[in-house]
Amino acid sequence: MAASSSATVVRRRSLRRRTRWVGLGFAALPLGLYALVVLVPLAQSFQYSFFKWDGVTASTWVGFDNYVSFVTDPVLRSTFGHVLVLIGFFALLPIALGLLSAALLTRAKQPGMAVYRWIFFLPQVMTTVVIALVFKRIYAPDGPLNTALRAVGLDSFAKTWLGDFTWALPALGLIGTWVTFGFCMVLFISGTSAIAPELYEAARMDGAGPVREFFAVTLPGLRGQLAVALTLTITAALRTFDLVWITTHGGPGTSTLTPAVALYKAAFQNPQVGLAAAIGVVMAALCLVIAVVITRLSERD
Amino acid sequence: MSVRKAIAGVAAGLALSLGLTACSPGGGSTDKAEAPSTVSTDVASAGAVTLKFTDFWGAAEGEWIKQVITDFQKKYPNVTIQRTTEDWGQLNSTLNLQLQDDGGPDIATANNGWQSLGTLAKGGLVLNLDAYAKAYGWDKEVPTTIARQNQFTTDFKTMGSGSWFSTPMARTSLIGLYYNADKLKSLGIDPPASLADLETAAAKAKAAGEVPFEYGSLDSSTTVLLGVQALLADKKKLNDYIYDDPSVKAADVGMTEAITLVKKWADEGYYPKNYQGIDYQTAVANYVGGKGVFRWEYTGSLGLNASQQGHYGYIQLPQQSGSGTVGVGAAPGAMVVSSKSKHPDVAAAFLDYMMSAETGQAAVDRGLVPALSPDAKAPASSLSLTGESAAAAKLDSDDGYVPYFDWSSPTMLDTIGANLQLVLAGKMTPDKFTEAVDKDRDAFLAQQS
Repeated sequence: MAASSSATVVRRRSLRRRTRWVGLGFAALPLGLYALVVLVPLAQSFQYSFFKWDGVTASTWVGFDNYVSFVTDPVLRSTFGHVLVLIGFFALLPIALGLLSAALLTRAKQPGMAVYRWIFFLPQVMTTVVIALVFKRIYAPDGPLNTALRAVGLDSFAKTWLGDFTWALPALGLIGTWVTFGFCMVLFISGTSAIAPELYEAARMDGAGPVREFFAVTLPGLRGQLAVALTLTITAALRTFDLVWITTHGGPGTSTLTPAVALYKAAFQNPQVGLAAAIGVVMAALCLVIAVVITRLSERD
Repeated sequence: MSVRKAIAGVAAGLALSLGLTACSPGGGSTDKAEAPSTVSTDVASAGAVTLKFTDFWGAAEGEWIKQVITDFQKKYPNVTIQRTTEDWGQLNSTLNLQLQDDGGPDIATANNGWQSLGTLAKGGLVLNLDAYAKAYGWDKEVPTTIARQNQFTTDFKTMGSGSWFSTPMARTSLIGLYYNADKLKSLGIDPPASLADLETAAAKAKAAGEVPFEYGSLDSSTTVLLGVQALLADKKKLNDYIYDDPSVKAADVGMTEAITLVKKWADEGYYPKNYQGIDYQTAVANYVGGKGVFRWEYTGSLGLNASQQGHYGYIQLPQQSGSGTVGVGAAPGAMVVSSKSKHPDVAAAFLDYMMSAETGQAAVDRGLVPALSPDAKAPASSLSLTGESAAAAKLDSDDGYVPYFDWSSPTMLDTIGANLQLVLAGKMTPDKFTEAVDKDRDAFLAQQS
């Protein structure tokens, strides 16, 4: 009896081990591909970041110089500040608006809701290049925005939005808000509909108003969706490139320069491949850290 | 936990791939700087030769180069040239890779300056053309200020002297002043013949309610600054500054005066209202559409059609000091021969043909500005092309070219573009602007040595 049961255990264990190997076998090809197209270039970038290299001729080892100049060069350092502003516009504002609109939309079922959702989600499926070109037109000196402001007598508010040292960055940020807002809203609406209706009933029984209900039931129920939205929008803000490149090229002055634009300029316009790699590595590390922190926070009870 | 495991996995992968690539990047052979010793200018007896040629020319320029290739092949039936065209940015960022490939082009258009040509020459990817320069007499035929644009010393510390690594062509791209002829006529102003004339004309245009200069600074257009600088700076000093002579400073080459004037024009309201929000394309479209009287522009960039060419004129204003005409100009591309080319003699013969008078005439015939061919004839109906051709001929004979200012360092275009916006917004003084220019170039020089 004992012998036969231990044999079963052994067999079962070896079976499990075999299935694990089979699984790895299936995953080998994609893993290999992943290593080839992601890990190897990542490692190369990491390596390049310690060299001064023009992309063609022999490189020189410079240790951490590229990283140091990323942090100490006033122009490059300013890109962090710009990204922080962009995070406000790309992540915090759309999430706040998304939560609000999801709460409003799910409370009362109105006819034509799907149409609203579709309209708000539309920017998410449009190419950034198209969006940037559209907004470049909207923000133009004689564009629709200024025309509208003048039409209602707010002439003094009309500005050269993208050419203004103060307003260019917020103007870019608002494009981001417009793009990510619909995504956050749809995510939160689907999240809210997955919350058990009993919870809402219970809350109402306890005498909770709509606001209390939102904070006590909806918000905790959306923790997973919040984590996803935060991760995606913050990393999108960190990686902002096409929007800036098409509208302002980082100007006026360097007031809308982002790390990604600085990276592109270093890699492809000025032969500073090492510096570009250092910027890339720092950005990748930041994205990873942000993703890990947000995942951790959202999984904690 | 899964996150930790994932990180460990990525780290292990990184370490592994780092091990695989653990030698320093680059290290392309730098010992190819020697010129080929025996060269031949005899193309007819070279046998059947096929050359691959990559360039960044489209539209009228594309038509022109097709014509040049056809003519060359007619002259030498044993030669076939396979042309590929790529967009300018695309070719610039990939040319170094293409030239390292055995199947890459024999001839290509590079961009002058350190970013592109200097790096390719230093990396030994393009041929030293000194022997051909001697064989074809380029040293004598090409004006010095144009020849310098193609030269580097073989230790690659200095640009603007030493060996030929590329050649120009019978075409040029200048920065100068365009004027709307109809507007000038209705304002009763003659085309200006000096900077002082221009300022008077601008004031008059402004008083008449016109925009004197059509300009937009949204994407840091610097043509106005560089165009003005060429009128104020000493030719030799400006050339030396751009070719990285550390003893010349930006203040010696009219930079402060030029930026001060550009800012003054802004303060006088000579640019369109809201010019900070107007991008380059919009400004060009506005000007061609009839807004503004004058515009500082690269030749060929307005894209004037045949009938518009009769209504816009072009002037290369003489120097303020009265010592001849100096203008920013260069060939629209630097012709290079790949070090991997199996037929460098034939490739060099094609480069020589690109500097010929036939090539210049083929350019004018397509509305492009000719150079190195003083007899090229522009159609009389084209006011702008007549002006542009005359300007190029004048600069050829005065040997008055200065290269684009941003050749002085790889980051210079960014620096002057961004700081120009600061000056125009009143956030930087002209002196500080000049300092920033020096700082950029000196940082580059320090890194070179």
